[in-house]
Amino acid sequence: MRKKLGEIILHGVMILLALIWIYPYVWLFLSSIKPPEEIFTRFLPSRITLEHYKYIFTMAEKMERPFLRAFFNSLFVTLTVTFSVVFTSSIIAYGLSKLRFKGSNAVFNFIIFQMLFPGFMFIIPLFVLIRKLGLYNTYSAMIIPFLMSAWSLFMLTQSYKTIPQDYIEAAKIDGASTLWIIFRVMVPLSRSTLSIVGLFTFIGIWDNFLWPLMVVKDYNKMPLSVLLATFNHEYAAYVGPLMAGSVIQTLPMVLIFLIFRKQFLQGISMSFK
Amino acid sequence: MSLRRREARLGWGLVSIYFLYTAIFWGYPFVWMLILAFSRWKFVGSPKFVGLQNFFRIFEDKMFWRVFLNTMNFLSYFIPMVFIASILFAIALNRMKYFKTFVTLSFLVAYVSSGVAYSIMFQRIFSETGPINRFLYNAFGITIPWFTDPQLAMLTIAIMVTWKFVGYYGLILYSGLQAIPKSIFEAAELDGATSWVKFWKITLPLLNPAIVTVLILAVNLSFGIFTEPYMITGGGPMNRTLTFMLYMYNTAFQRINPSYATTIAIMTALINFSIVIFIRKVIEKEVTIV
Repeated sequence: MRKKLGEIILHGVMILLALIWIYPYVWLFLSSIKPPEEIFTRFLPSRITLEHYKYIFTMAEKMERPFLRAFFNSLFVTLTVTFSVVFTSSIIAYGLSKLRFKGSNAVFNFIIFQMLFPGFMFIIPLFVLIRKLGLYNTYSAMIIPFLMSAWSLFMLTQSYKTIPQDYIEAAKIDGASTLWIIFRVMVPLSRSTLSIVGLFTFIGIWDNFLWPLMVVKDYNKMPLSVLLATFNHEYAAYVGPLMAGSVIQTLPMVLIFLIFRKQFLQGISMSFK
Repeated sequence: MSLRRREARLGWGLVSIYFLYTAIFWGYPFVWMLILAFSRWKFVGSPKFVGLQNFFRIFEDKMFWRVFLNTMNFLSYFIPMVFIASILFAIALNRMKYFKTFVTLSFLVAYVSSGVAYSIMFQRIFSETGPINRFLYNAFGITIPWFTDPQLAMLTIAIMVTWKFVGYYGLILYSGLQAIPKSIFEAAELDGATSWVKFWKITLPLLNPAIVTVLILAVNLSFGIFTEPYMITGGGPMNRTLTFMLYMYNTAFQRINPSYATTIAIMTALINFSIVIFIRKVIEKEVTIV
């Protein structure tokens, strides 16, 4: 009996905590759809309004803050980088894991060595490089430095290593080309690792702030995160539109997380094995 | 023989794509990082070699040590908060039978919040007239200056970051818990061990790899904090929320001193690295389950 009571209390407390944890999101969302005067005065809106969203999307004409365009900038940059990272690492990892050649171990160790350095060490030298290449204030500046990543290559190589060599030999006997082996054998068998790589890359690039803040100065090329930040600095009193913008900025990350939540949970249990 | 050579050639071919790319976007910045750290340069002309002068300057730079103290301050709030919260979360989740998915997802959805958006959100939630102060005022008749008090501002940022990461770290610890065989606990119970003893003598030691992972992730994260202070406090009040990244950014782009900013980045990485090594030395233990 006492044990049962303890269990009920435990569940009650955890559910309460879970509700507290999503409270900021609920507050954010409700604030974005309630009349401006109610944002700081009541929790539930007296009426639902889309004026803040309308406001955000018509900003382009009013104040030269093209939010809609920024959303598509973010989407374009993020999808390009994610696709490239997934594509390049699924090909190159094959060379590192399944082909025998002198020095392949050294290359793999070099990739681990690269991962030891935190990204912030290179951020200013990388900025120097981007300026020298004439890429300052372009989409390329946000895309090209992230097209391949040591971490994804490492993850995928590890995953490929667990695939039995027999599968590859069998495919070769059937006359399969290297590309066929990679995309018809290796990739389908590493689907969960690939989703983790894709998911984390997507979230990382969509949420990237410091780098685009440094390299993009033109409002028309800014990703949503940077445009939202500049808007927050200059028009902090426009709470409603800011909340609407924050919802739009958060939504893709939450959606992609909910879609890939199974792989995400797998990724967590893999992270320290 | 020729088959092996073809395999080797293909292998090198694939790897060299990566090498070419990494030489440009990792190797070249790496060299520039070293050049900048030992020279004076203001984005124009060619860097002038000054030896170790940038590093000497750091030791006399009061602001750098202010930033160092701020980060230590952040760590002293953040590490205990996030660690205790996530270990409790992991243990509670391990005992739950119902609503597990709901609880897990509620905590994890905080982890996928965008840095800019959640800063804007918490800036308003903790503001003078925000819901938390309104609640405190109605319940106790007080309001707390979350972001404007020099002592409190860093704590408030630590609370935000804790909100974001408890679910993620908690799940890492949770999957560590799941890996502990139930039979060990049963054996201990037969020997009459209380839950307190079981926690300290079995759970914590066997959870060691997961604990080390979480601590290292949390430390690395603390040294990379930029978005929250940039968005909310701008480093203030009284520079108390100035972080290494914000100081580096300001040095490079407001004070136009990229060479010194690079030196700051290198020093930050060194401090970060030594704390990680310290954690590994002190806390990490070999764990084997026989």
